[in-house]
Amino acid sequence: MAAVLGLSAHFHDAAAALVVDGEIVAAIQEERLSRIKHDASLPVRAARACLAQAGIDARALDAVVFYENPFGKLERVLLSLVRAFPRGRGQFVNALASQLGSKIWIVDEIAERIGVGRNKVHLGDHHTSHAASAYYTSPYAHAAVLTVDGVGERTTTALWHGRESALSLVESIDYPHSLGLFYAAFTAWLGFAVNEGEYKVMGLAAFGAPRHDTEVARTLRLDADGSFTLDLDYFAHTHDAELGFSPALERLFGARRDPRRPWDPTGEDRKYADVAASVQRRLEEALLGLARRARARTGEDALCLAGGVALNAVANARIAAEAGFARVYVQPAAGDAGGALGAALMHARSLGDPRCAPLRDCALGLVADGGEALALAASLGYDARRIDDVAGVAADALVRGDVVAWVQGRFEWGPRALGQRSLLALPAEAATRERLNRLVKEREPFRPFAPATLESHAARWFEHTPNDRTPFMTTVERARKEAVERFPAAVHVDGTARLQTVAEDGALAPLLHALEQRDVAPVVVNTSLNAAAEPIVAGAIDALALFARRPIDLLLVEDVEIRRRS
Amino acid sequence: MSLVGRARTIGALVAHFAVREKLFFLPLLGVLLLGAVLLVLTGGLSYVAPFLYTLF
Repeated sequence: MAAVLGLSAHFHDAAAALVVDGEIVAAIQEERLSRIKHDASLPVRAARACLAQAGIDARALDAVVFYENPFGKLERVLLSLVRAFPRGRGQFVNALASQLGSKIWIVDEIAERIGVGRNKVHLGDHHTSHAASAYYTSPYAHAAVLTVDGVGERTTTALWHGRESALSLVESIDYPHSLGLFYAAFTAWLGFAVNEGEYKVMGLAAFGAPRHDTEVARTLRLDADGSFTLDLDYFAHTHDAELGFSPALERLFGARRDPRRPWDPTGEDRKYADVAASVQRRLEEALLGLARRARARTGEDALCLAGGVALNAVANARIAAEAGFARVYVQPAAGDAGGALGAALMHARSLGDPRCAPLRDCALGLVADGGEALALAASLGYDARRIDDVAGVAADALVRGDVVAWVQGRFEWGPRALGQRSLLALPAEAATRERLNRLVKEREPFRPFAPATLESHAARWFEHTPNDRTPFMTTVERARKEAVERFPAAVHVDGTARLQTVAEDGALAPLLHALEQRDVAPVVVNTSLNAAAEPIVAGAIDALALFARRPIDLLLVEDVEIRRRS
Repeated sequence: MSLVGRARTIGALVAHFAVREKLFFLPLLGVLLLGAVLLVLTGGLSYVAPFLYTLF
């Protein structure tokens, strides 16, 4: 029986996860506590918070595991440097800074800053950590596991076989051929920030038609056996750290989009939306090929997914529908943050600890302090009071058309707000989407919002059967005609929605039932409680800071109701 | 960080390349390492390009 801390850092989305006696005690992204979006620094705050949640200190840890091997990465770096020379020589100084300035000293840094002996610090493997995060938190005894991202040490895509809690590598595809880097290059060409804007490409794709399939297919070749190859003439990730795409890509698709220009996806930006649609479709086809191969190679009926590409909810829906698996699960923090959890779970297994219980929800962070919220709200001049019926007060506000900030329980693990740190509204008015996008969230007007509803009601409004993805918002489902008409703020332009289904003991269940009691359909718009370029709210101070700056009508922090004075 | 710890990291790094039969990288690594030390001593760089991880 052991206490194992997993850490990811030094790329983006640093995180810590603590596993004690095989069970997940806490899992926290550093950005939630540092308030720096995608904070990549060593997650010391998150690690300390995890330890505090367990009531232990660092001396009680049996092991600290870093999610990847920096020496393996350095080896790939040096190979790239040699192969690309003289191209890439301009990045030489950057290379020194990023690799040798901090990354290779990770064991020393962890030992010193976390406060453990150097002999307790271990190095994991990037894709093994991803695979472990998906398989061990899944509800499956046997499963195929696919990990797909930009690049780890060397691997970009890997197929694993999970059997009786043992995880073995079946085959892999190595750098420079990468679906994550394929999508990232087009993300950059569309004018979005790489490692941040990929999900915007997915949302934009719904506005376009895949009119550029032939051209996109030239950049990413798909083979009959499920493997893929990038045509590197169109990409620059082997020698240019800025863009990821080459001049050849601009000759094929035209000039990159100016990110400073406002978006008009149905007008001036139609072409960019069409390219996004073709890129999205090509990615889906590539992932379908990999998933079908995974099914054929392992013979399993269940599939687990992780790696940054597994955050593509639209592709996940196609995999679930078309790849031949009976069940599909996506680890909700599928990006690099999730590697911290996988590294800890993998090491705990190696120490003989039992496999953890399947992940039922993502409430693995910290609780906000209602008393702190009450005191701070009063000092800021807001009306604040403790209440008994939090769900009832929220439901009444939603029925009035209010936007409600909902801070309840431990905050979520991963990028999705799942009812612990959510911004809620009723989806009946299309104008609600505009209001949330432009005024509250300050983001692109084409970005969709997701609905949350009770699992027991989901099939009425969506083409839904119970599955392992909708509790975590890792897939999309088609809205039925009634839902398109009744919930326009929560259905995307293509008629799909990234639905969250809520179990009877879920954080949003009392609120959804309270809406039902008021003869209102138990469906809410559920979006993350943050503004543009900010991490999702963690504690009471963050919540009040957001409430003070944005037109939010009601803030509920645990049992504390906070309103502006009229 | 302690010098002993750093020395152990260098040892582990060399061992990694030895196991992978890539010891021919060591001269290049030495040059990089020297540059890194200089960067650390001079305050390093604050800007990190978005595709840097794919390259380095």
